[in-house]
Amino acid sequence: MRASDVGLTDAEYAEICRLMGRAPNALELGLFGALWSEHCSYKNSRALLRRLPHEGPDVVAGPGGNAGVVRLTDSWEVAFKIESHNHPSYVEPVQGAATGVGGILRDIIAMGARPIAVADLLRFGTDVHSHHLRQGVVRGIGLYGNAIGIPTVTGDLAYSDTYATNPLVNVLAVGLRRPEHAIGASTAKPGQLLVLLGQRTGRDGIHGASLLASQDFHGSEHDSMRPTVQVGDPFLGKLLMEVTLTAVERGWVGALQDLGAAGLTSAVAELSESSGVGATLWLDRVPLRQAAMTPYEIMLSETQERMLMAIDADRWDDLKALADEQEILATVIGVVEPGEMIRLLWQSEVHAEVSARWLVRGCPRREVTDEEWEGFRRPVPRPRVQAVAPGRGGARDLKSLLLDVLAHPDVRDRAFIYQQYDSTIQTRTVWGPEHDVAVLKLHEEPVGVVLSVFGTGQWASVDPYAGAAAAVIHAVSRLAALGAECLGITDGINAGNPDKAESFGQLGGLVAGVADAARALGIPVTGGNVSLHNETAGEPIWPTVMIGAVGRLADAAHPVADVVREAGARLYLLNPAPLDLGGSVVESLAGGASPYSLGPLADYRRALDAMSQSVRSGLVEAVRVVGRGGLAAALVRLLLPAPPSLGIAVTLDEDTDDAKRGRLFNEGVGQWVVALRPTCEPAFLRLCEAAQVPVCRLGAVTDVAALSIDGRVQWTRAELLAAWRPLG
Amino acid sequence: MRVAVVTFPGSNCDDDTVRALTALGVSPVRVGHRAQDLSTVDAAILPGGFSYGDYLRGGALAAQAPVIESLRAEVASRQLPVLGICNGFQILAEARLLPGALRPNRQGTFRSAWQTIRVTRASPLFWGLEEGELLRLPIAHGEGAYYLPPGQLAAVFGNDQAWLQYVSEDGLLHTEANPNGSVANLAGVIVGSVAGLMPHPERAMADYLGSADGARLLQAWLSGISRRDGHAR
Repeated sequence: MRASDVGLTDAEYAEICRLMGRAPNALELGLFGALWSEHCSYKNSRALLRRLPHEGPDVVAGPGGNAGVVRLTDSWEVAFKIESHNHPSYVEPVQGAATGVGGILRDIIAMGARPIAVADLLRFGTDVHSHHLRQGVVRGIGLYGNAIGIPTVTGDLAYSDTYATNPLVNVLAVGLRRPEHAIGASTAKPGQLLVLLGQRTGRDGIHGASLLASQDFHGSEHDSMRPTVQVGDPFLGKLLMEVTLTAVERGWVGALQDLGAAGLTSAVAELSESSGVGATLWLDRVPLRQAAMTPYEIMLSETQERMLMAIDADRWDDLKALADEQEILATVIGVVEPGEMIRLLWQSEVHAEVSARWLVRGCPRREVTDEEWEGFRRPVPRPRVQAVAPGRGGARDLKSLLLDVLAHPDVRDRAFIYQQYDSTIQTRTVWGPEHDVAVLKLHEEPVGVVLSVFGTGQWASVDPYAGAAAAVIHAVSRLAALGAECLGITDGINAGNPDKAESFGQLGGLVAGVADAARALGIPVTGGNVSLHNETAGEPIWPTVMIGAVGRLADAAHPVADVVREAGARLYLLNPAPLDLGGSVVESLAGGASPYSLGPLADYRRALDAMSQSVRSGLVEAVRVVGRGGLAAALVRLLLPAPPSLGIAVTLDEDTDDAKRGRLFNEGVGQWVVALRPTCEPAFLRLCEAAQVPVCRLGAVTDVAALSIDGRVQWTRAELLAAWRPLG
Repeated sequence: MRVAVVTFPGSNCDDDTVRALTALGVSPVRVGHRAQDLSTVDAAILPGGFSYGDYLRGGALAAQAPVIESLRAEVASRQLPVLGICNGFQILAEARLLPGALRPNRQGTFRSAWQTIRVTRASPLFWGLEEGELLRLPIAHGEGAYYLPPGQLAAVFGNDQAWLQYVSEDGLLHTEANPNGSVANLAGVIVGSVAGLMPHPERAMADYLGSADGARLLQAWLSGISRRDGHAR
């Protein structure tokens, strides 16, 4: 077996020989191949990720574990993380997406937390094949989430041809745990037994991490790669979840690690390395689905629904009885040892002997100099004349332009997707997928978790730095609209082949954008995921970052409305952005592509504070964040679910048609449309002035059931609804 | 009052159901799929979920579990009130404790939504739930298209077994209000002491969750049991 068979370079092979002081045998080489893959080692991204801010007053566990954990209340902590399953979902959409959900749920469970919510962040092309992929992916997410009983409460979806041969399937999960049930992989002690729980190990998913997830596609992998995709079993996943969480709650578990990418290899290496211990595994004891599997196959299998647990020997009988009752397999497959060596035995014979440290930390990683980092933060030069001046997007009249924007796939209603997901199970869902954010109220307390997810598409297509920073601000501005505090964010980075300078630059731009925005807003990044090699036949995707922000809402049963309620309310635009259409839906409708426009980061923090303070002071009757489709789409969303007699009348200050379009359709982040009772108006204006956040009067809620702009252009609510939510 | 919440491997609405009953002042007892003796309970709920993964057909395997025989015996001997919700309804149909079958949704996909339900027939099992009353409840199922063999529909309506129907928000019965292709928009049926419905009352326990009508439905069921058994509550 050669290094390239397991996805390693000659230089990496030489480093393995140097570390070991000898040449690895085939099994050992396989272990290195898996853990030194891009997917497991983050060899091209770790130096970038190190520059993200990780500290915050509520951070309990930052990056490095299976998921980040933040403090919600004195008696509850929230574990959350995003993960990608892009390549598997392209090869086999239903199972690829289903196992993506199963995998991220086990990451949450491995922190001792009970999953309470899933979110899906998806990117597809616009051709017929992409349409089928989307149907399969949505089915797969529902297949797993619905059956295991975790609600899918929010999501993000956008389309572009750039994703046609490389769809993105990022899944985020959130869990709750009591502080006293905190567990992780780093607490194993010598002498403890290593117990493998769950599914029998089969030949599925071998080389998933090293070959499927860590290499480019060339166009013909559909069939040849299918055996590297795993198959999910949510029924077994449910039983495994109950056994694992019960064992954690009863205090039986010394350390816990799920089996995901690179299977048992990654699980035992991560657990050993982070605990500072070694391990002996008796591979002939691993329960198999197929006879005659080799040690190599057992170690590299990515069979789903498995957990690795380190327990004291005197807990074994209890654990076994619990597992038997739930009809889950539990098998002692090894023991934790002092030192750092992992020994793999097959019928008492040592077949491999490697240090956990070499596997987890030994991979040569790409360094990033300060100078390179500064380069990533430099804005992409803006064209002197914007590719699409506001007027050119408006070859069509304003009336049809808004309807086109509403019907754009990035803006239109997603009920046809989220209705396939159970969003109400577990009875915490105060706001589900029909809102911009999910609000989940704890059963035991008035407090709730707010989950806001948003990813870039077009925004980061030209300037990844600006787009990524904007995505962070946008996700957090939805929390501010509820007056919720942001506790932390998770980032899912998706980019092309890092060996190409251009793609690496895009990767760097995304991470730098997230880092700078998070730092400016004072928000920790508690973990995330990096998916590289998102390219097919040499064509990379748009660099894309998916953000999940978790917030704390004091009175979760009563979030401030995102719909207007009564005629007479005044409408304001808080923190109006410059009239720049870079990255907007209107620009893409006109075929343009200019960089996204980002303002000074410190200004956004002031605006976010003013927004949440207005809500917490009880001044705001309803609010919507301006996002895709701009102010115009936000006004429509504010109106459509309202009582049928209401309408909105807006008068714009801008004097030219171009400027009016710039106002209505720019997608600058950190803008909110706010509806106020007239009596609250003075206090609101005082608050904004004191905070030095600009605000402009838009108009009022009327009892004429239409949206009207400047009294000249008018849309009935039926027209707006028909564009936004077409039948069929 | 002793209300059993019967769970199977893969049940996933059991915690929600226990929480709902607790909120209504009942301390439910959890009963597993292997239970042989239900002689000491006053009523039983089969909650929703994906029993045994529902890989064969919704409820098909669970209908063969030992606890179903115990339920059948108690229903036959003392008309034990049994309420099946979603997967629980599927199980009761598979076990022939209720007529008909739940087939895959007409549109071929899982459907999760808020749905208005109309009480078609009042029943002493649900005391205080009036005919014509509208309830707003969530549905969440992939196999919820209620089916009756030809000729049985008239019997189900004629024998007062047609209990709940899917209607539009203003209470009108028409095809567009049918979320899954159920025959005659049927969302729930009652035979004797056994009731089944596809919507999830246990998820509609408070206005902030979208509706408190589920609490109303479950309370009506508990009241029906109390009155029947003369329990003081």
